[in-house]
Amino acid sequence: MMLSLLLLPAVLMFMVSFSKNKNVSIWLSIISFSILLPIIKLFTLPKPYNIWDTYLVADALNTYILLVSSIVGIGVTFALMTLDKHVEVSANSYRRFYRFFAIFWIGLIFSILANNMGIYWIGLELATLSTVYMIKTNHSPTAHKEAWNYMIVGAIAISLVLFGVILIYASAKPILGEEAMSFNLLLSHAKEIPSPFLFEMGFAIASIGMFVKMGFFPMNLWLANIERASFYPVAALFSGILESAVIVGFFRFSQIAMKINYSHLFAFVFIYTILTIFIVSFLIFRAKDFMRLFSLSGIEHMALIALFWVSGGTFAALLHFGAHAFLKPALFLSTGVLESNGKYRIAGALRGYKGMKGALFWFFVSLFLLAIVSLPPSPMFFSELYGFGAMIETAKQSDHMLAMIGAVLFLLILLSVIFYRFVAIYQSMKYEGEENEKKVYTSELFALVIFTLSLMVLLLPSSMAFLRSIS
Amino acid sequence: MIDFLIGLFLATLITALFTTRLYRLLWWYSLNSLMLGFLALFIGRELDDKAMLITGIATIIIKAIGIPFVLKNLSQKFHFVRQVIPRIKVQYAIMLIPAILVFTFYLSEPITHMIKSNSNYVAISISSLFLSLLLMIEHKNVAPKIIGFLSMENALFLLGITATEGMPMLVELGIFFDLLMAIVVINLLFHKEEMKV
Repeated sequence: MMLSLLLLPAVLMFMVSFSKNKNVSIWLSIISFSILLPIIKLFTLPKPYNIWDTYLVADALNTYILLVSSIVGIGVTFALMTLDKHVEVSANSYRRFYRFFAIFWIGLIFSILANNMGIYWIGLELATLSTVYMIKTNHSPTAHKEAWNYMIVGAIAISLVLFGVILIYASAKPILGEEAMSFNLLLSHAKEIPSPFLFEMGFAIASIGMFVKMGFFPMNLWLANIERASFYPVAALFSGILESAVIVGFFRFSQIAMKINYSHLFAFVFIYTILTIFIVSFLIFRAKDFMRLFSLSGIEHMALIALFWVSGGTFAALLHFGAHAFLKPALFLSTGVLESNGKYRIAGALRGYKGMKGALFWFFVSLFLLAIVSLPPSPMFFSELYGFGAMIETAKQSDHMLAMIGAVLFLLILLSVIFYRFVAIYQSMKYEGEENEKKVYTSELFALVIFTLSLMVLLLPSSMAFLRSIS
Repeated sequence: MIDFLIGLFLATLITALFTTRLYRLLWWYSLNSLMLGFLALFIGRELDDKAMLITGIATIIIKAIGIPFVLKNLSQKFHFVRQVIPRIKVQYAIMLIPAILVFTFYLSEPITHMIKSNSNYVAISISSLFLSLLLMIEHKNVAPKIIGFLSMENALFLLGITATEGMPMLVELGIFFDLLMAIVVINLLFHKEEMKV
């Protein structure tokens, strides 16, 4: 019953997207809002809640991620209402976008709620494939090329994940049989796995697949190029929802890997993420347009989330995840307005907003830009405080304390480079360049209000307590 | 018989790497999938695993017949470039492919030690994975890249059969469903006015 309720809005959206009625865009928007209702219901149910046998099980972690993703989905829907005001998009492409958004949503529900490695992979693959066409909604040669790039690189990444899943399954099958696909059973029998090396190999390969999908080293630019080529709501969906589905897999796999050999897991993720942030910080320093800037910043934050998670800072990772999931789509959606007149120009992008709507837009974008670089009271400020605290704690317990604290300091220097660049960009947006009048629509403002309110809710003591209870 | 089929599986993939014509490439992919389907049927019969038998039949119908047929139709509809010359010259490929095979056997040695049955097959499936990646890399055109992606999926399927003696039926069917979805998306990507692939 619950599964039907969860899938119903997506199925309806898929069906309505075939209608050629003039008002179909309004109907599609209304239906997409309804995705939140079953998720709120699921959120209130006692956990763990078996949605479909033991294949789909809702627990506090995945319900939180699903709730965050659904709010992002709704925010994106608001922005989609005025997509044709900023870019050229045909009615047919618009309907197709929603058709694939529905398939994307079905894939996400399966991957986020999966308690089975195979179903997680199937959901992720479905979501990946459906986004390929979303990129193609932009009928430009660059978007066409990037859609193919996404298809090919995405396929390689997802194949690596499947390769890892098969090895993990092979490592645990002697003791668990066909149940070796279950995340929960793997977690409870982690110590009994007869071939830990095989598991670790599988974990490393699956993680590399997931890291490639999130744009980690060595594939730092492919995601940025794709997001640059596609329409801005696609980039918002990528950063706010698709990456959530990827990171939830990483959370699940790493929980098991932690029980098998924590030091191997920590060293692997620590080196990988620091290398990623090292490269990304310099790419951010050289970024010359909003989409690439936000996309690269997304890679930095996903690397931080992975790092906090394996350092034992579960609360910090989840808080950072929530804050990033709201902030980044909000910034991507704002680029629709920021770039509508000045193309890729950063200088003066925050000038020329008239009236109440303009002032509010200017205020929100400033807020998001400063919040993404962790200026207090951004939730990211608190998550980074707790996250780095957890890393220092881990360093204190390790045999290589000085090296690790040195690495943490190095990381802080890299984050300062990113901070400096963002502040410079903000000043250029506000105080440099020409002043051209720009138009902001109510639906876009409404999307930004949703994200702002969600960020404020994240800071409430009850939300913090909920996140702590997950950890 | 299984050794013979797995040898043919690898041979068809290696031949695909040297192919310069699109339809020949589709043909080698079809044969590669056919060998995979037969392998699933033979191993399934040996293990008395009904799910693997169903998967084997589905592989033959979908991958050996259905997908090559759809791709050939697409290539005619959208006038694909049929001459697909690999970027890596034959004389270098002749040296590179055995090197990949030897390297993967060496690389997968620690893994194969832990898998009691069909350990050599695991090494072959990993080398097939690398060879499929090579197929994707060595071509500039999109169509051979798609074949490379599909061959990679075949290599993973072989790994699933050999390393784990078959994945759960639900997962296998889900993978097939995703493959069909990939074909739908590929079809949509070949928009008629942008066919310069």
